[in-house]
Amino acid sequence: MRKSIVSLLASAALAIATTAVAQDARPFAGTSITVLMPSPQGPDIASAFEAETGIHVDLQTLSWDDIRPKLVTALVAGTAPADVTEFDWSWTGQFNAADWFVPLNDLIDAETVEDIGVAKIFTVDGKLLGIPYTNDFRVMLINKKHFSDAGIAEVPKTLDELVAAAKQLKEKGVSQYPIGLPLSATEGASTSWYLLTKAFGGELFDKDFNPLFVQPDSAGYKALAFELMLLKEGLVDPASTGLKDTQINEGMFSQGLTSIMISGEPGRLGQMNDPKQSKVAGQAEAILVATESGTTRSFGLPEALAIPKVSANQEAALVFVKWFTSREHQKKNLANGFLPTRTSALSELNAEGKLNSGDALVAQSKTVEALFPQGTPPWYPQFSSGVNTAINSAAKGQITIDQAVQKIAEAAKEAMAQ
Amino acid sequence: MTAVANGRQSSARGVGFGADTILGILLVSPILLTMTALVFYPMGRTIWDSLHRVNPMQAGTPFVGLDNYVRMFSDGQLGATWTNTLIYVVLAVAAETIFGVLAAALINQVKIGRRWILAAVILPWALPGVVNSVIWLWIYQPGAGLLNGILSAIGLPFENHVWFNDRASAIVAVTVVHVWRMMPLTIVIVLAAMQSIPSHLYEAARIDGATRGQMFGLITLPLVRSAIAVSMTNATVNAFNLFDEAWVLAGSSLETRPILVQIYLETFQNLRFSYGMALSVSITFVSLLVSLVYVLRVYRNTRFD
Repeated sequence: MRKSIVSLLASAALAIATTAVAQDARPFAGTSITVLMPSPQGPDIASAFEAETGIHVDLQTLSWDDIRPKLVTALVAGTAPADVTEFDWSWTGQFNAADWFVPLNDLIDAETVEDIGVAKIFTVDGKLLGIPYTNDFRVMLINKKHFSDAGIAEVPKTLDELVAAAKQLKEKGVSQYPIGLPLSATEGASTSWYLLTKAFGGELFDKDFNPLFVQPDSAGYKALAFELMLLKEGLVDPASTGLKDTQINEGMFSQGLTSIMISGEPGRLGQMNDPKQSKVAGQAEAILVATESGTTRSFGLPEALAIPKVSANQEAALVFVKWFTSREHQKKNLANGFLPTRTSALSELNAEGKLNSGDALVAQSKTVEALFPQGTPPWYPQFSSGVNTAINSAAKGQITIDQAVQKIAEAAKEAMAQ
Repeated sequence: MTAVANGRQSSARGVGFGADTILGILLVSPILLTMTALVFYPMGRTIWDSLHRVNPMQAGTPFVGLDNYVRMFSDGQLGATWTNTLIYVVLAVAAETIFGVLAAALINQVKIGRRWILAAVILPWALPGVVNSVIWLWIYQPGAGLLNGILSAIGLPFENHVWFNDRASAIVAVTVVHVWRMMPLTIVIVLAAMQSIPSHLYEAARIDGATRGQMFGLITLPLVRSAIAVSMTNATVNAFNLFDEAWVLAGSSLETRPILVQIYLETFQNLRFSYGMALSVSITFVSLLVSLVYVLRVYRNTRFD
């Protein structure tokens, strides 16, 4: 009897202690936060996070293009668009200057920052403004069946080999326009040009932000000339002047209409190889970015999560940011098309054979550079708009290459001056 | 004493000057309050802020006078967007007025089922601008688009024609969608005016041997002049405010970019709020000025007649 009473008391004490520990582990249980991210996101994010932390999440998703106006209008009015928000690499300079987001340096452990190499892209003036959750960098995507049908055995490593492969694909009638390349006045046209500028062995600016793309022998000039040559040779669809990168990915590559995405997004491989979402399932493959010299290069365009300074639930918001960027969640989130930003998660997934074109992605990820090693400047959005507007006009034959690069240089100068 | 008595009497009946004034103020106050809160205050605040530097990337909002307005003269892309906008205004107002009046005259001749025709005609106007634009985006599609399909079917080489790769055809393509959406309003306004013209005027003209063309030119047009003026004002303001069609069909392409897209980019992309406000104030005044010039002219002539 005494034994039973002792046992009962011990169980009760354990139960009380367990509850106390559980409450300590869930200090914000019962709190509600809002999260604003681009669509689509995994369907079970809110429920999985709430089950683990007790924090209720109101997950709001918008198309990527609609998020920025919503953030800007709310933040300029001094209200929180959400407790946790999307934070694109290209906004870093502007949003740092506006002082809208909480620096996370002291709130995120050093091990995490080290594991997420691209976190440095979100560091300006020593302030870490966002924790990257999707590792967007550029690779080239090819349809390996198309290559096989055209009798191309080797994947292109140089730009000359790329053009030769595209011509062969066209000549063999495998695809009418073998190369997918956005030329509309949208961000996708800018990023493709940046990638090709690197592929031609150059940079956009020197360390003092003087343009390096104006001279005909510069990489940026050659990159634009290369794009227009592809268009003129009929290797790129003339309708690309009105198409965003998403439209080319989903409406052309995933439909089997094009064979090569010059500025490919690794995160799309899952969808492209999913028979429910793609007509080229099992055929899409990532290859290293072909360059003029044959030595591959790439740059990162990661997206992060950040916490607005006007958020009323910053501590609970931080719990979400940590959870969403944890190794375990990043590995699970691959199924939703998000490539992990943690090197450890990426390596583990590749070792487990769960990564589409894993070897190419891991190899390319080691070559990822920041587009602006000095940190993304606050005038980037205006500059980028000038870039894609000029590329679009040149692609439509409204201006020459010389005029286009001059316009880009003027846009950069004007953007920097203000 | 008499005055006091009269005043009391008037007050008792509730029709005196004081009571009328209070009643008038009470009746007008809802719209005055609404207009003040939603139109006059925001307008005044916008004008005031356009004289300051409002940019979240820079601390403070110092008074900068007319700097934001002066900057417009050195803005490289602004000239192109103003040119595009003015072309849209000229083309859209002309097309909506000419085809709108002709369509109204045609519908006015219909005796049976006029209301159904009118309902069908109004449909594009009732649809949101973005929906109309997306429909036309499919029509203009280079590969499988309806327009290229029809032109190819009649033997013309338009199979993969990209309408937005040429500035002239792109501007016309955007204008067509805008006119498609806004012309029904012109039709409705002018048709209402046509239906109010007394039929005996046409009977007298017919007895005098007037032709249909003469009746249209000498009776119909002069008597619907005010309605045309109203619809032209509406068309002008809407053409200056063109955004959805250009954005959906061609994004921020400079060849088709109207001033409103430029304002959007300056404000939400470049975060130059006060410059965006200065641009908004400018387009508002230009739009009002252009409308005012021909509205006053047409309206005065109508009253004179």
